[in-house]
Amino acid sequence: MTTDHIPEPSPSSILIVDGDIISRHVIADYLRHCAYAVVEAANTDEAFVALREPTLTIDVILCDVSALGSRNGFELASWVRSNRPELEVRLAAGAEVAAQTAAELCESGPHLARPYEPEAVVDYIKRLRASRLS
Amino acid sequence: MSPSPKSPGGQDFAALRKCILVVEDEFLIRFMLSDELRDAGYQVIEACDATEAVSVLKTVQPDLIISDVRMPGPLDGMGLLALVRETTPALPVIIISGHLHPAQALIEGATQFVAKPYLMEAVVDAVQKVLGKTL
Repeated sequence: MTTDHIPEPSPSSILIVDGDIISRHVIADYLRHCAYAVVEAANTDEAFVALREPTLTIDVILCDVSALGSRNGFELASWVRSNRPELEVRLAAGAEVAAQTAAELCESGPHLARPYEPEAVVDYIKRLRASRLS
Repeated sequence: MSPSPKSPGGQDFAALRKCILVVEDEFLIRFMLSDELRDAGYQVIEACDATEAVSVLKTVQPDLIISDVRMPGPLDGMGLLALVRETTPALPVIIISGHLHPAQALIEGATQFVAKPYLMEAVVDAVQKVLGKTL
């Protein structure tokens, strides 16, 4: 009998839930750069639509804890753990944590590498936010 | 699009693809339309309503806006169009609606009009008419 290790398939589809369009877009693009299929939700209500949509495949949820909607990020994570335990949920508080999490996901995803450091992503988000405020 | 991070190989994050801001409050429609446009080779920013779109426009200059008309919030698609015509008159806007008469959208400054319900190919065709076939 063979004992060859069969690696688990790497996740390939990520649902991002973030109410800040700048952060959501930049992190989503970073993950697309890592060959993930990315679904963007602006709030938890949209996330539930995505999770209930049979044509959408989702392996991982990256959710900002302060995401708005009829349920907050913690409640979404709790619902997923109870109802869709096969999904991995990563909660992030702020762009720095989200970018770091995205970089980690890149290393376990289709390309098994991060295209560049998460600090560059955070710097980019900060520059965009600064130009929005000026 | 604003300057973006470089990969270690020096490749631009957003590359040089043309950037489209999609403004649509119906989540699945926005997802499918954005996905289709990315498959066609465009960089896409997804906004869930006109307020998010205005927030983006303070930061980046897309090459094109595609906007639904009826959306929740203080600003609808025609309000967004009026704002864009005031601030960046040369920025092309494609209006998508199932209620509005095409002539009204064009009179108020839309570059193209696509009636709902639509085939995704119809939107990509309209985009290519506005931006040209070169990505």
